Amino acid sequence: MTYCVDMILPFDYQTPKTLKEACRLLGEAKGKAKVIAGGTDLVIRLRNEEEKPDLLVDVTCLEELKGIEESDGTLSIGATVTHSEISDSSIVKRYGSVLAKAASQIGSPQIRNLGTIGGNIINASPAADTLPALMVLNAVGRVVSSESEREVPVRQLLESPYKSALKPDELLVRIQFKKLSQDTCCSFHRLARREAMAIARMSLALLFRMRDGNISDFRFSPGAVLPVPDRLEEVETFLEGRSPEEDLLRAAACKVSEAIVKRSGIRPSTSYKAPVIEALFLRAMREAMQQCQSNK
Amino acid sequence: MPIKQIGIDIPKVDANNKVRGVAQFGADLSVSSPLHLKVVRSTKHHAKVIKIKTEEASRVKGVERIFTAQDIPGKHLVGTITKDQPVLVSDRVRYVGDPLAIVAAQTIEAAEEAVKKVEILYEDLPSVHTPEEALKPHAPLIHDHGNLLIEFQVVKGDVVAGFKEAEVIVEELYETTWVDHAYMEPDAGIGFMDEEGRVTVVCPSQNVHYDQKEVAGVLSLPLEKVRIIQCATGGGFGGRLDITVQCLLALATYHLKRPVRIVYSREEVFDVISKRHPLTIRYKSGAKKDGRLTAIEVEILGDTGAYASYGATVGIRSAVHATGPYQVPNIKVRSRMAYTNNPWSGAMRGFGVPQIAFAHESQMDLLAKAIQMDPIDFRLKNALTIGSETATGQSLMASVGIGESLRRVKTWRDQLISVSCDSPRPHLRRGIGIGSMWYGIGNTGIANPSTAQIEILPNGEVRLLTGVADIGQGSDTVLLQMASEALGVPIQEIKLIRADTAFTTDAGATSASRQTYISGNAVLQAIRHLKQEILREAASFLQEDEADLFVEDGEVRHRKKRCISLPIREIAKRTQKRFKGEGSYDPETRKLDPQTGQGAPYATYAFATHLAEVEVDTETGKVKVIRVVACHDVGKAIHPQNIVGQIIGGVAMGVGFALMEEYIPGETTSFVNYLIPTSKDVPEVIPILVEDREPSGPFGAKGVGEPALIPSAPAILNAIADAIGERIYHLPANLERVLEAVKKSKRGGKTWQPC
Repeated sequence: MTYCVDMILPFDYQTPKTLKEACRLLGEAKGKAKVIAGGTDLVIRLRNEEEKPDLLVDVTCLEELKGIEESDGTLSIGATVTHSEISDSSIVKRYGSVLAKAASQIGSPQIRNLGTIGGNIINASPAADTLPALMVLNAVGRVVSSESEREVPVRQLLESPYKSALKPDELLVRIQFKKLSQDTCCSFHRLARREAMAIARMSLALLFRMRDGNISDFRFSPGAVLPVPDRLEEVETFLEGRSPEEDLLRAAACKVSEAIVKRSGIRPSTSYKAPVIEALFLRAMREAMQQCQSNK
Repeated sequence: MPIKQIGIDIPKVDANNKVRGVAQFGADLSVSSPLHLKVVRSTKHHAKVIKIKTEEASRVKGVERIFTAQDIPGKHLVGTITKDQPVLVSDRVRYVGDPLAIVAAQTIEAAEEAVKKVEILYEDLPSVHTPEEALKPHAPLIHDHGNLLIEFQVVKGDVVAGFKEAEVIVEELYETTWVDHAYMEPDAGIGFMDEEGRVTVVCPSQNVHYDQKEVAGVLSLPLEKVRIIQCATGGGFGGRLDITVQCLLALATYHLKRPVRIVYSREEVFDVISKRHPLTIRYKSGAKKDGRLTAIEVEILGDTGAYASYGATVGIRSAVHATGPYQVPNIKVRSRMAYTNNPWSGAMRGFGVPQIAFAHESQMDLLAKAIQMDPIDFRLKNALTIGSETATGQSLMASVGIGESLRRVKTWRDQLISVSCDSPRPHLRRGIGIGSMWYGIGNTGIANPSTAQIEILPNGEVRLLTGVADIGQGSDTVLLQMASEALGVPIQEIKLIRADTAFTTDAGATSASRQTYISGNAVLQAIRHLKQEILREAASFLQEDEADLFVEDGEVRHRKKRCISLPIREIAKRTQKRFKGEGSYDPETRKLDPQTGQGAPYATYAFATHLAEVEVDTETGKVKVIRVVACHDVGKAIHPQNIVGQIIGGVAMGVGFALMEEYIPGETTSFVNYLIPTSKDVPEVIPILVEDREPSGPFGAKGVGEPALIPSAPAILNAIADAIGERIYHLPANLERVLEAVKKSKRGGKTWQPC
């Protein structure tokens, strides 16, 4: 057994100045390179020798990956935008508050100042805090390589726990989603074993609008309960177009735990997680409905 | 003489260097071109070591030498009480983490690479992982002398009659788990030969003189050929009472005759440093309906892990304190500690008392409820007072502040009850709980002397020499305050020399909340002796009758001739003499009877009561501690602000013990999965100091280091029970356990079933 104090296996480190150069480096490395931005996840994995790259490509100097922009009803967030920048951004707060709220609860101020949204997605943790929010925002990632450029819904950026679906030569450049209309109600809840610096035990994001007293365009994604974060369409369909009576919400809460058990199976943690996700779901729904009330 | 230096909040003398980053902790120590040490450790729970193959590792570029047990010139085993822990294992590993070899290399990288290349051939042995299993007749033996480390009893009165007399009886099973000290600084240090040819180790420590004895034994050197220096120490909490890096550094220095350095990673600290003992406590207690306790019967079983360390101390101390700070006429307590192949348990802040306090305070609330009595009134009815006899038959003569602490907390409780109402959000329930404790200051029923010297040099310099290790708790400041007060010399003008075996003498360990009381008394005695010497010299120098002279405000004065007043330092200068006062103190105790546990194990006790106010989320099991009122009888507060600091730190640690801290062998690796409270988890703390003077204490002081922690978790657990109407018997009260208790509670939520 070895205990490493400050030894990380040697690797090259490049800080490309252009996107083209970054793509070239990734392409040439043929899978032996890792992209680093904030490093809040990667450095730990390097130290534990869970990753042994020959090359680290630092993408924090690439202009294309920076900034939060608003155009034509779309919000575009650079992959290296930090959680602090997101949670402080007035545009994100206005047009995607569910994401701002999720980003504001990550780790600690130090982690939020370094960690980036792109890293949070590509690290593909089942408990990643921004993923449920991005899922309900129908966020799409713009992925670039030397050969191609494609737009990929966030869900499709994830392959399995801690494994993204990016090809080795691809880079996530920006994350985009349609601005939420001002009558959208949303909620994000997070539960952890302590008040800061703890991996989420469970989280969830949801949003909808009210149309003639009925729930419309309902979107829901739980965190840290599925191997790969996802939307729960069963619940979404169940509530779509219906009036949010208490009984219906309770029935929907049951659907939530049912859907999770169906996808993840009965685990030792299920007896705890199932009733708690139901309770959190109800809380989030009530909170969002209150928002709807005050929007009126 | 007016008191000037006692009871005031001067800046801690170590604070300036620490806040400026000047203080040197273990990993900060520099030494010229050291070799770096890395330890090869066992990956097996229990196995015979057939062979340690170092050939390939030796060939790694930069490796200077690999040491195994064969290189130990002296004793192979160390341990504070029972010497059963190998410095390096030669024959049999007993837990995952046992050290087998040390690599010394030019670079850390080379040392780490070589560690991976040392090959160990094992022959697996069956392993045992619970104390219950370990004590079964045919359990695999972990040590040749058997798996039972200690069995200890406290027996008094007649429990059968006591329970017959009782009108209510409550019996429950309480369980606690491994807790890590989580001190901020990972273990680290340096070794070198000093200018006088001594094998010298500088590292964090709670007791340099103990370290010196162990290292000398291992190297088969006379004590004076070994020197241990304590560097700035980032916490201890008991984890640095045992040998950590000392023998490894010393062994390498001894052979290589050149500087060496070691730094543990956090993961290594988690794996190889002692833990708090997991205890299983079956606790039965009875009371009359008028609130009088009639009997307790307690069975304690602890997991001491692979090695003894402080297992015996925890076994005995938890038994001696099993009643809590209450008078109980009939007592039967049995405490046993068993070896297992789990990580070794050792000393941690409170030595078993935090665990037993969780049990006795839960029992007190259960009994109070059963007889429908206010929990504070019930405690007051049974609280120890002056003249009370303790569980071990000791009569308390003075400084018994438990009643006062309860009365002070009661005032708070009554205010909180009158204003607190359940939250408008129905899933949040508020609760208030009380936890009380007593704690014997110093080691249990055995000698635990301290020594100190105070000197005035011919140039007038005043020096205080003490072996006491300040691990952040404040002994440097407090001992200087006492010296300054007693001698009448300003603190800034006293040079402190401490915790270096080359210059200071044995003060015993910084543990058992003993240094203020015991080493404080040793310092005061040294000063009395110094004054006698000065007066003798002054008498001949001034040609006055010695009996007419006295020392006040740092001056020799004459009872009748007011014109005679001479600063004591002037006397040293003018006579060109060096004055030295030797002091020692060993608290008066009476050994515990090995059969009945009767005796007077401590010269004095500290007392405390905490009140915790919590909010429980009944849908998630999340507990938020809102406020802790912490009332402590400290005898006399030498430095009130420092005590408040101890109390707030104790509460923070208590929140962790109550709600989240749990070391799981094989799973816990680092602070990623071992959670301790953050600043956002620590409640508002309202400290209240009660000063019930201890006549034998220096200026009336006792101790507060461990007491600060002990009542918090019991109070929090009682508050949770108050909030949800159901009790948790297994620490920590994490999300799952709290939700489970809510489900059981009649007041609580529904049982979840698949829809």
